[in-house]
Amino acid sequence: MSAATTGTASTAAGAAPAFAVRKGVRRWLHGYRVMLRWELGSLRLQVPLIVAIQILAGAGFAVGIGLYRQLPRSDAMYLASGTAVITLVLIGMVLEPQLITQQKTSGAYEFLWSLPLPRTAAAAAWATMATLIGLPGMAAAVAVAAWRYHLAFHYGPSLAAAVLLTAATASLIGYALGHAIGNSLVTMAATQFLSFGIMGFSPVNFPADRLPAWLAHVHEWLPFGSMATVVRGSLAPDMVTGVGHAYAVLVCWLVGMIVVNAVVLGRRG
Amino acid sequence: MSAAGFRAEAVTKVHRNGTRANDGITLSVEPGEVFGLLGPNGAGKTTLVKQIIGLLRPTSGRLWLDGHDLVADPDAARQLCSYLPQARLPIDPFRVHEAIELTGRIRGGRGPAVRRRTAELIDALDIGTWRDTLGVKLSGGVKRLVGFAMATVMPGALVILDEPTNDVDPLRRRLLWEAIRQVGHSGAGVLLVTHNVLEAERSVDRLAIIDSGKLVAEGTPSALKSDDREHLRLQVMFPPGHQTPELPEWVRASTRVGNNLLTAIDEKDAAAALAWARALVADGAAEEYALTATTLEDIYIRLTGRQSNGDDAGPDDAGRDTVAGAAR
Repeated sequence: MSAATTGTASTAAGAAPAFAVRKGVRRWLHGYRVMLRWELGSLRLQVPLIVAIQILAGAGFAVGIGLYRQLPRSDAMYLASGTAVITLVLIGMVLEPQLITQQKTSGAYEFLWSLPLPRTAAAAAWATMATLIGLPGMAAAVAVAAWRYHLAFHYGPSLAAAVLLTAATASLIGYALGHAIGNSLVTMAATQFLSFGIMGFSPVNFPADRLPAWLAHVHEWLPFGSMATVVRGSLAPDMVTGVGHAYAVLVCWLVGMIVVNAVVLGRRG
Repeated sequence: MSAAGFRAEAVTKVHRNGTRANDGITLSVEPGEVFGLLGPNGAGKTTLVKQIIGLLRPTSGRLWLDGHDLVADPDAARQLCSYLPQARLPIDPFRVHEAIELTGRIRGGRGPAVRRRTAELIDALDIGTWRDTLGVKLSGGVKRLVGFAMATVMPGALVILDEPTNDVDPLRRRLLWEAIRQVGHSGAGVLLVTHNVLEAERSVDRLAIIDSGKLVAEGTPSALKSDDREHLRLQVMFPPGHQTPELPEWVRASTRVGNNLLTAIDEKDAAAALAWARALVADGAAEEYALTATTLEDIYIRLTGRQSNGDDAGPDDAGRDTVAGAAR
């Protein structure tokens, strides 16, 4: 599809250049590509360290769960798949808002949002970057658990869909948080609350029936348990039920977050 | 009124806390024109700029650029405007040429054209030494120059430069002013936000002075100075801690900034002023003095009650007929 252009030209004496306002899919794709280059480039000094920490954290969690006691293979599989999800989503929900807060504090935010890019393309580039950074840690958690506990995970095409849906949803939740909250301390508190809530009070590393009934009911509509269900449903299909419901919940959250981000990013003070 | 160029029509911005940052500002920047926007800190310059590029929405008023309604279409505003903010640029992880080229690509330029233009700017600003240096290792002045190159590698119809010369060394500052003029020659309008009145006086085609959110003067530098043609500036520098002595009756206006006293006098009082200043120096009450033609800064001081941050201001300021003296 070609880019639409609404024409305009300056009329200065001499060789005045023509300035055009571009719209359309080609502009969006161009914006996505160049912004992904910008985001990957701007984190390249930190990415090796972040990825190394993620790999160590994923592998460490995977080994650590077996130190408590001798785990039955099914328990190990449950915990390892949950650990993989936590490693994946914390980048989007916790690190991302903190990076956006850093941009706001340093003044870089103003420059970045003055760039002539479709804001949804910038959001998509950001989500892609968060997914790329989160994947090695997740892969490490799965690989180390498979080796340590002799687990036979299932690696099918549905795993890619589950991981992408989970990572994109987590990333857009973090992106909206980072942009919507103006106060850096509030952002910090919100991300800490999220990580605490995901690891301690979400049915990711334990079944929902271990929670109080009201909280388990709430989690049917929150994304965290569904993220674990779709990823676990791909890695270990026999362990979970309600995969269809979980996909539906996540798709709703993804669409909702796209709308929320469009509103938040379009705001002008 | 032609559709080309930039127009701000009665732009008012009232923040949520009730602060009236802009109050009915109307101004225009023609294609190819370098337009200075001057004013003290907190005058509302940056607020106006943020409304132009769509980061803030005016409470009332209209903003037009080449026929586009920038208030209604902030996406068009970002495509049509290039912006160098005063704040730090996020270029620490990038090599100099990468930051400029990538910004050019983001601004819609094609690879070869962007690379060619990047090379031209690096050469024009004399920053080739740092072409492959990471931004994190650059001095503040070089970062400003890189920021200028990023804003102008693929310039929009309006190039907005917020304090572009901050921290830049005097030699490259001259190159930067030449490059700014070149941007104007290419057909883009340049909106130059600055505190530095003396530099602006030499470099802009027209300017506006904003104070407390209101536009208090607009015109060419010489037109703004026309009211003060019959006047001179007497500047006296006192030793640290010395009070301002009683001023003679022929002093028309005065401002004390630090140890500097700036006064406006009539030309006919020049001899008396020189005698008064020499006597102060002889008595040890003053260290030095200078009698010069009125500058735009004097107009600025009269309109805003403040001195600009021009770092080349002072009794030894070159380029004007000056009578100066100092304690021996």
